[in-house]
Amino acid sequence: MRIFIDLWWFFKQERLKYSLGVLFLMLSSFLSLIPPHVVGVLVDDIRTKSLTPVLLGKWILFLVIIGVIYYFTGFLWRQLIFGSSIILANQLRNDLYKHFTKLSPNFFQKRRIGDLMAHATNDVNAVQGAAGEGILTLVDSMTMGTMVIMTMSALISWKLTIITLLPMPIMVMLTMYYGALLHKRFGRAQAAFSDLNDKVQENVSGVRVIKAFGEEKAQIKMFQNASRDVVNKNIAVAKIDSLFDPTITFIVAICYFLALIFGAKYVVEGSMTIGGLTSFTLYLGQLVWPMLAFGFLFNIVERGSASYDRIRKLLAIKPEITDKKGASAKIPSGAVEYAIPRFHYPESAAEVLSDIQIKVEQGQTLGIVGKTGAGKTTLLRLLLREFDLQEGKLCIGGTSISDVTLEALRSAIGYVPQDHILFSATIAENIAFAKPEATREEIERVAKLASIHEDILHFKEGYETIVGERGVTLSGGQKQRISIARALLAHPEILIFDDSLSAVDARTEVSILQALKRERSNKTTLISAHRLSAVEHADLIIVLEEGKIIEQGTHEDLIEQHGWYAEMYAHQQLESLVSEGGQKA
Amino acid sequence: MNEEEKLMNVSGRSVMKRLLSYLNYHKGKVTFTLFVLLIATAADVLGPIVMKIFIDDYLTPRIFPVRPLILLAGAFLALYSISALFNYYQVISFQKIALAIIQRMRVEVFAKVQHLGLRFYDQTPGGSLVSRITNDTETIKDLYVTVLSTIVNSTVMMIGIFAGMFFLDVKLALICFILMPFLIVLMWVYRTLSSKIYRVTRIKLSQLNAKLNESLQGMAMIQAMRQEKRLRNEFGKINGDHKRAMLKSVRLNSLMLRSAVYSVYLLGLIMILGFFGIQSFDHVVKIGVLYAFINYLDRFFDPINQIMQQLTIFQQAMVSAERVFGLLDDERMAPVQQGSSNPKVEEGKVEFRNVTFSYDGKTDVLKNISFTANPGETVALVGHTGSGKSSIINLLMRFYPIEHGGVFIDGAPLTAYSDDELRTRIGLVLQDSFMFVGDVADNIRLSHEHISEKQIEEAAEFVQADRFINKLPNQYHEPVGERGATFSSGQRQLLSFARTMALSPKILVLDEATASVDTETEEAIQTALSKMRKGRTTIAIAHRLSTIQDADQILVLHRGEIVERGTHQELLQKGGLYFNMYQLQHGKGMEHVSSAQ
Repeated sequence: MRIFIDLWWFFKQERLKYSLGVLFLMLSSFLSLIPPHVVGVLVDDIRTKSLTPVLLGKWILFLVIIGVIYYFTGFLWRQLIFGSSIILANQLRNDLYKHFTKLSPNFFQKRRIGDLMAHATNDVNAVQGAAGEGILTLVDSMTMGTMVIMTMSALISWKLTIITLLPMPIMVMLTMYYGALLHKRFGRAQAAFSDLNDKVQENVSGVRVIKAFGEEKAQIKMFQNASRDVVNKNIAVAKIDSLFDPTITFIVAICYFLALIFGAKYVVEGSMTIGGLTSFTLYLGQLVWPMLAFGFLFNIVERGSASYDRIRKLLAIKPEITDKKGASAKIPSGAVEYAIPRFHYPESAAEVLSDIQIKVEQGQTLGIVGKTGAGKTTLLRLLLREFDLQEGKLCIGGTSISDVTLEALRSAIGYVPQDHILFSATIAENIAFAKPEATREEIERVAKLASIHEDILHFKEGYETIVGERGVTLSGGQKQRISIARALLAHPEILIFDDSLSAVDARTEVSILQALKRERSNKTTLISAHRLSAVEHADLIIVLEEGKIIEQGTHEDLIEQHGWYAEMYAHQQLESLVSEGGQKA
Repeated sequence: MNEEEKLMNVSGRSVMKRLLSYLNYHKGKVTFTLFVLLIATAADVLGPIVMKIFIDDYLTPRIFPVRPLILLAGAFLALYSISALFNYYQVISFQKIALAIIQRMRVEVFAKVQHLGLRFYDQTPGGSLVSRITNDTETIKDLYVTVLSTIVNSTVMMIGIFAGMFFLDVKLALICFILMPFLIVLMWVYRTLSSKIYRVTRIKLSQLNAKLNESLQGMAMIQAMRQEKRLRNEFGKINGDHKRAMLKSVRLNSLMLRSAVYSVYLLGLIMILGFFGIQSFDHVVKIGVLYAFINYLDRFFDPINQIMQQLTIFQQAMVSAERVFGLLDDERMAPVQQGSSNPKVEEGKVEFRNVTFSYDGKTDVLKNISFTANPGETVALVGHTGSGKSSIINLLMRFYPIEHGGVFIDGAPLTAYSDDELRTRIGLVLQDSFMFVGDVADNIRLSHEHISEKQIEEAAEFVQADRFINKLPNQYHEPVGERGATFSSGQRQLLSFARTMALSPKILVLDEATASVDTETEEAIQTALSKMRKGRTTIAIAHRLSTIQDADQILVLHRGEIVERGTHQELLQKGGLYFNMYQLQHGKGMEHVSSAQ
């Protein structure tokens, strides 16, 4: 029941809705007690022949009024209680989303997106259940049950009430026992299903091997077994699930039986009327739900609390990168200076960068090359302050990047990441991602700079073409160029290209690089690349190997040095020759 | 938007018909279960009649003969015992039938997918395929297990109750029948309105999830571009839309579900009380009948409530069923044997004659390819990415149908061979050495049960995989996890060699791995490869030219055409594309470029 205390803040926030909702719910329960009583009175009147048309009309009118009021109270409490639980779900989702936007990239690397999604969907739903059905079952099992029992014993016969209620606890216990069993078996059925899912996944990813070795029949047999296992586990669930209804019907029948036998005795003795007996059995029928609700309540509460705990734990995670106290909001500008003796990622002790000393003057271009895993991306991501340094300094215009706000730092930088992330929106919206108010002219201008304008015009909807998961599929090169245009739109002080030209052909690369040169005089650019042609014209090129700078200088210097760079350059020249089919030479 | 559009227009009837046709497989069981259901319902319906007899014949006149009363009490308890037992049997039986149907449907879909060609796989994202085989059939399961069984149960119960009413008092039963139009209209209106609202909530939910998923994936970008606030607002808006849709559905449910049904119940109660009240003015009324009617009325509304709550699941299940049937009807089948000549692979001569091939019917990836690999010879395919090397292998493995030209093995067309003959006589070693969950021996044997433990070990020894296998704690029974992640790529490669060699194929098709492995494994791989090639016709894709220097024939591919062919020495002397590639791989690029300049 702790969940109701945990959610107290919300009940307080929506106190009017909840108090009215609970009030109307109780009123509904109370109203539903009246018709059985009316039935009892009428039965007695009919039996004793004391019923007159006027009296009958009055009673019927009374029932109509009860019906109308009940309809409204029933409508109102559902609206109020279930409606509030939806508001809670909405609020929790917004909170989670807001929290996600504050967490550092490191967090998203550690957590699987599927899990995070599950928190925002399944867990939120379970909490919503506790705030909706949980309240309903709590109130109904407490108040309605008591009200019915009190009415039965006060209006009709307390003795009969006690006698007939004897089997009810058995029902409650049995249904709770079934509930526990069901939970366990349901878990097994779920596990069998996810196993089946894994097998299908394996089958689909291994399709070539399966076909090459003629494994189709064996796979079908394997699937048959796995799906039979799912069926068996589900039958085990069904065996328990199907127990509920017959058990309830049977026990209620026993209650009826007791009511009739003992009721008849009291009727004969004269301490009760037949009408009283009739309404008594109707009340008996009304007791079933509160009893069941009691069982459900535990289930709902248990699920709700487990989920709410998970959500709270998630919300309690502190972002790793935050603004320093007194950080300046002034957008930094000037030379980029790395002075990092060593750096490792928070989770591992392995050094990924060591002895990095670079200075890129304002307006210059830095090229970073090296093998995969040499530390190129790390170097760039440090400038974005995705991780904090353990040692050393990273300055822009002489100010350490941790002395300015994240907002200011990010305003200074335009970033084109390695994996181009586009959002489900139009191309224009994607390009204007960092500046939603940009005009179409601005958007087209940067699209031209990124050599993507022509491509966009070829789409049926032009700039209004929807991209992303639900839209058209773009080639890797097109995505890259759109993310380049996106980064250019904001005229950043510093532009970062993290291997962002890998998927465009040589000719386009040249035209993009030339456009950059024209556009960005006096602005600093950092380019990492596998293809050396992308950095050939940089003012400074560094070659990284295992986190260390092994060569540096201009293109000409490096060719002179006959080191890794020179060798790689020759290699790539030949490679392009080969991929042209040897025709170029 | 696909999902959403599909939710909009499901052509219900034919899908429903096809879904129900699965019941035909269980005709006998369905009939028997229905019979049991009828008995259970009859017992249920008879209960109030027994009570009525007690009230009217014994309680009202106050006569209590012992024996008939005990009999009556016995009958009452017997009826409810029967009802409980038979209902239990009936519910389980329906569930079993439903699960058996889903099992059949699942196996059908899975088997169908196994026989679809690679063309289908190229065009279908793996995730959505998996989801169709498992999740969509799961939704259909809900339809069968809950919706259909609820509807059948509830309908039978309602009919039973009416039968009981007619038995007790025809006139009153007819009057109660007036309730039906109310209920039917209520259900119809609810179904119409709820399906609309349900659709909207589904769409909003899928937008919500899509937005969340996309944001989580692109959070680094959102933060780098300082768009957190905007995205928060956007998410808030979608979340708000979702909330409004949910509130609408709560409002509809509050208006039309239990409260409304309760009103109809009260209407029925008023009719019954009115009927008996009016009757009592000039007749003697049987209280027991009144009692039984009220009792019936009480139970009549449970089935109604249940049916109404299941209506929305229905919608979703129809969408899923349509997708599953779409898959069952897919026509992109894998190429199969043609004719019944059943040739055998004896010599292992492979011949491509004027093969032109295209995946999409527009751009040819292979143009007029002809070559012959004589028994025991090695033909190496070289060329850069996209030159058509893999396509040649795909055709030789009969993964795709050949439209122009032909592939022949030992003189017989590839299409004439049986699947079994092809799959056991042609051994394919893929770049990506796929591992199945199981153990090492399973991964070598696969489903070929005739391969003994000893043969497995021999195959492993032959490719020198035994060295690392013997070092594993459980050796040949060392468990292999998902995708064999616990093994290095070199080890996986060796295991896949062993897998191929266990079948001792006549023809070997190699797609050499580009992934770099440690030198020790690399050596093992190279030794294994040359051993494997001995005495076998080999078609090999080589990325490292050093490994194919002794090939009998090297085909250099460029844009789907064979541009050079010959032995290593011949090609080097030619100084063409192969020569350039060779230079490139041997680090002699610099001199070459500088000399070219």
